[in-house]
Formats: sequence, C-alpha cells, structure tokens
Amino acid sequence: MIHHWPWWLGGLALAGVALTHWFVLGRQMAVSGRFTAIVNRWRFGAPDPSARALQSASRADLLAALQAATYAEFGAEEEASSSDASSTEPSAREREAPAAAAPIESSAAELPRVRTLAEHAVFLGSLVLGGLLSALLAGSLEFSLAPNGEIFAALFAKTPWSGALVLLVGGMLVGAGTRMAAGCTSGHGLCGVSRLQPGSLLATVAFFGAAVATAFVLRGLS
Amino acid sequence: MLGVVLGFALSRIGFSSWDEVHRMFTFESLRMFLAFVVGVTLLTLAWPVVRRFSATPPRWSARPIHRGTLVGGLLFGVGWALSGACPSIALVQLGEGQAAALFTLAGIFVGNWLYSWVHERYFRWSAGSCVDD
Repeated sequence: MIHHWPWWLGGLALAGVALTHWFVLGRQMAVSGRFTAIVNRWRFGAPDPSARALQSASRADLLAALQAATYAEFGAEEEASSSDASSTEPSAREREAPAAAAPIESSAAELPRVRTLAEHAVFLGSLVLGGLLSALLAGSLEFSLAPNGEIFAALFAKTPWSGALVLLVGGMLVGAGTRMAAGCTSGHGLCGVSRLQPGSLLATVAFFGAAVATAFVLRGLS
Repeated sequence: MLGVVLGFALSRIGFSSWDEVHRMFTFESLRMFLAFVVGVTLLTLAWPVVRRFSATPPRWSARPIHRGTLVGGLLFGVGWALSGACPSIALVQLGEGQAAALFTLAGIFVGNWLYSWVHERYFRWSAGSCVDD
C-alpha cells in the first residue's frame, strides 16, 4: 500500500518537477504533446530532412529565402519601381539582402529543435520506472490485472472484461480530448494555468468540471 | 531521469490510484486538489522570477483558446473520471504493476490517432504552436 504524501508536499513536488523540466530541457512540461508526437511519427513517418533543416534556420533567413524565391518567380521590377517614389528608403530587396547572405547557422537557437522519437520514448518510459520505484519502495509491487481500486471494482469490474472496456473507452476519450484541446493536466493544468494562458484556463476548467460531473454520475450509479 | 522523479511523485501523491482520483472528483478528499492548487500557485510565483533572471527571454509557447479547447477539455475530463488516468498516469500505473492500465494506454494512443484523423478530415483549425511544446 503506497502511503500518500500530504497536500503541501505534493504541491511542492509538482512545482519542482515542472520547474526542473524547464531548466533541464528548456521547454514547458507537456506530456500529452509527447503522445501526439509519437502518434504523428506513426502516422506520417520520420520528418522530411528538409523540414529539419527548416527548423534550424532563423526567421529572418526564412523570410529572406521566401522573398528571394518570390522575386525569382515573379520578378522584382514592379516592387522596385514603386519604391522609387520614396528614393531615400532602400528597396525591399536591398533591405533583405544582408539577411539572405547571412549563414544559416547564425541564429539556430531561434526555433526550438524537433525532438526525436527516442527522447519521447525515454521520458514516457521513465514515468513507468517512477511508478515501479514508488511501488517497490512501498513494498507494494504486485502484478494485478484489475486496476487497484475498490470503488472501481464495485462499479465496473463485475465481469473481467467490463473494467477493461471502461478503461479503454476512458483512455480513448483522454487521448482524443487532450489532442483536441492541445494539452493535458501537465501542459494546460500545471504549466499553462500558472502562466495564465487563456486556452489553458478554459481547458482546465472544462476537464476538471467534466471530471467532477462524471464522477458524481458514477457515484450515483453505485 | 526527470520522468522517473515525475512518475514517482505522481504515484506518491495518489494520482495513479483510481479510487483516490474518484475521491478527489467527488470532493470526498481535497488532498490532491490542494496539491494541484499549491503546485500551480508556486509555479505562478516562480515563472516571473525565472523570466527575470534568465539571460535570454524564455520562449514559452502561448496557449490560446481555439475551437477545440472547450470540447477537447470536456472529453478529456469525462475520460479522466472513467479511466482514472491522465496521459502520464497510465504509464505510472503500469510501473506500479497495474496491468489493466495497458487498456488505458492503448485507448490514449487510439484516441489521439482517431482525433488527429478526424481533425484533418473535417476540422483543420489551428490549435496554435503548443502541440509539440
């Protein structure tokens, strides 16, 4: 039996992990995004190498390259002649020229790097290890087919497969909902709400509200 | 390593126990709600300090409201109350030896896959830049 932490210790741990995540990985913690990344990889295959090159280019370089391509396609004469009216201003082409000439590596830090599948897998796998460690240290590691929960068992596990079906359907709602809302408890609830992001505030109110309502319905059923 | 700490903490807080999660949502036990509120409050106080002392301005993705935010949040909430798991929790439960979490985990992958298909087929709105945060 795992002895649960008091609320203040739990809060400290959640904040500590989210802050450490930022300091170590340079990103806000968002677990459902990792599931999404894995599913995308599964659906669409490995990212195009040119997409990775795009990731390491800076915004200015991209704009310059786009503009150069536009001029190559449509010609720059009209643009240049219209800007002759204000002859003190350099033409758009001249303004962008230095940026276009700059090496691509100049500002690679501007856009976040695309993480590899292995990085996501290692993080998700280490969550399993964390649960294992917790159960081992509590001396309560036991392999059980049914989820640990008497309330759950009383509600759903009347036949062996009904509990599994509820978990599967619940999991599907979790997967679809977190992808649709673009975030879960960590990304929206913990990190988004604390940064007062409007989408996170709405999503968090929605998922806690829906969960409370569902739980009360379930309690009514029992 | 960080994932191990997170998994351990989530397990010890009680988020990996279906019954504890149910007691939280029915307000029988406010312990985990309080832990969550304390976590959010500490982070709210910490981010401005982090921003103040970081050498370069941190790039934190905006999380705007889009057309999927409300409905997605509601779906996730119903799923959380049914399965007792948010995405990371299914993995933590698996580590604790709760083999039934395999069904939850499979459901999460299938649900994510299905929604991405539905989204491309029918919706195609932008959810902002926070998908791969």
